[in-house]
Amino acid sequence: MNDIADDEITGYVAQVRAALGGVPESTREELLDDLPEHLAEVLAEGNGTLTGRLGAPSAYAAELLAAAGLAGGPPKRRDQLRDLRERGARWLRIADVRVGPVLGYARASEFLVLLRPAWWVLRGYLAAMVIAQLLDSGSAPIGLLPRIGGSDLVALVLLAAAVVGSIWLGRRGAPVRFWPRYAYWSATAVVVIFALAGFSWADSGARTAPYLDATYSGGSGYGSVEDVFVYDGQGRPVENAQLYDQNGAPLQMGGMYCTDPVTGESRATWQRGYPHCPERNPFQSPSASPSPADPGVAPPGPSPAGSAPGAPAPIGTAPSGTAPNGAGPSSSAGVRTSATPSASPSR
Amino acid sequence: MRCVDTTQLLKGVLDLAVLAALRDEDGYGYDILRRLRAAGLQDVGDASVYGTLRRLFSGGLLNTYVVPSDEGPHRKYYALNAAGRAELERNGKTWREFATTMNDLLGDRGIV
Repeated sequence: MNDIADDEITGYVAQVRAALGGVPESTREELLDDLPEHLAEVLAEGNGTLTGRLGAPSAYAAELLAAAGLAGGPPKRRDQLRDLRERGARWLRIADVRVGPVLGYARASEFLVLLRPAWWVLRGYLAAMVIAQLLDSGSAPIGLLPRIGGSDLVALVLLAAAVVGSIWLGRRGAPVRFWPRYAYWSATAVVVIFALAGFSWADSGARTAPYLDATYSGGSGYGSVEDVFVYDGQGRPVENAQLYDQNGAPLQMGGMYCTDPVTGESRATWQRGYPHCPERNPFQSPSASPSPADPGVAPPGPSPAGSAPGAPAPIGTAPSGTAPNGAGPSSSAGVRTSATPSASPSR
Repeated sequence: MRCVDTTQLLKGVLDLAVLAALRDEDGYGYDILRRLRAAGLQDVGDASVYGTLRRLFSGGLLNTYVVPSDEGPHRKYYALNAAGRAELERNGKTWREFATTMNDLLGDRGIV
């Protein structure tokens, strides 16, 4: 075998290999395995050039593929995609039949078809939001309506037009020709992606809002409490009371300043327990303090649990009337805070 | 009526022809091609035979082995294995029945 023959063989093999470009490499090399030997035999017969004897390399490659049962090419990307799609469609069909009875239909798709107009309306809204997002150049967030330049009127007109347009499009059905169809599904994809992004944005906004509220208002429900007034079983105010929670931690409410109700002046209080400002007792005007001659009668204000308002207290159980020594809360004490003056004392 | 094209007929029976060419003796690709041509299948294409060999091999009907050559490229020999022989027998029978049927048909009409 001479060099010229070698070159001719090498060239022919290269061209066949190029024509088999779509075939996976391992298969291609298997197909080409016999080729140099084959071409050498053909040349050895001496009946002209390889192309003259066997035809064009591309034709040879095509015939080789067809005979090897790989005609139409081995699985290309396109075929794999189609494969995947068919498998997905099969699963969808199974889910369709399985889920349907749960929803009360033979197939789930029968139910989904009923939801189609709802999707048209939603799509219209989303399309309007996309348009507003594109056209609105203001720095303020446009909110949940398709506002352009912050205008509610524009928002409503745009929303109405988009919803009507979407319903019209929905009744017409997807376009048949390629490009309109392509545009239709692309736009749908944009709208869906926008909807997902918008939803996650609104969702995160809704989740962080309560946190901001808590920062500013205290959130405990007792943020407005300025002072605490404690009453014993006979309705007498307890001075210098201490409050503790279930863990033994002292409850700190209100501030350490008192405002004179008449003059409006503020002064620091020296009371270590509650109330900080005894003169502000909401149930007792300074002039109407219970008379020492009538210790058994509850003041007109608060009514401790277990005794009717104004009823004489059991004589023998009258406590000393002083604060419980600061050691701990008195279990029978009625607690009223100054922030709840509307609570009826007779309750 | 369209003419019966030999290449069309060949397509259907090339597997069987290649298996038959290997029945008595192993052979490399060009060897098999020559046997087929010598047997009268002049129109068989080179690439068709090589492609068929490759398909029968991946179908598990043939074994291969490589014989180094002093001159030129190595030669890949093909041999029938048990599955190949079984396939040859089965398809051979089918072909004979088919051929008999066709012969009878043509003979009855007095065409040939």
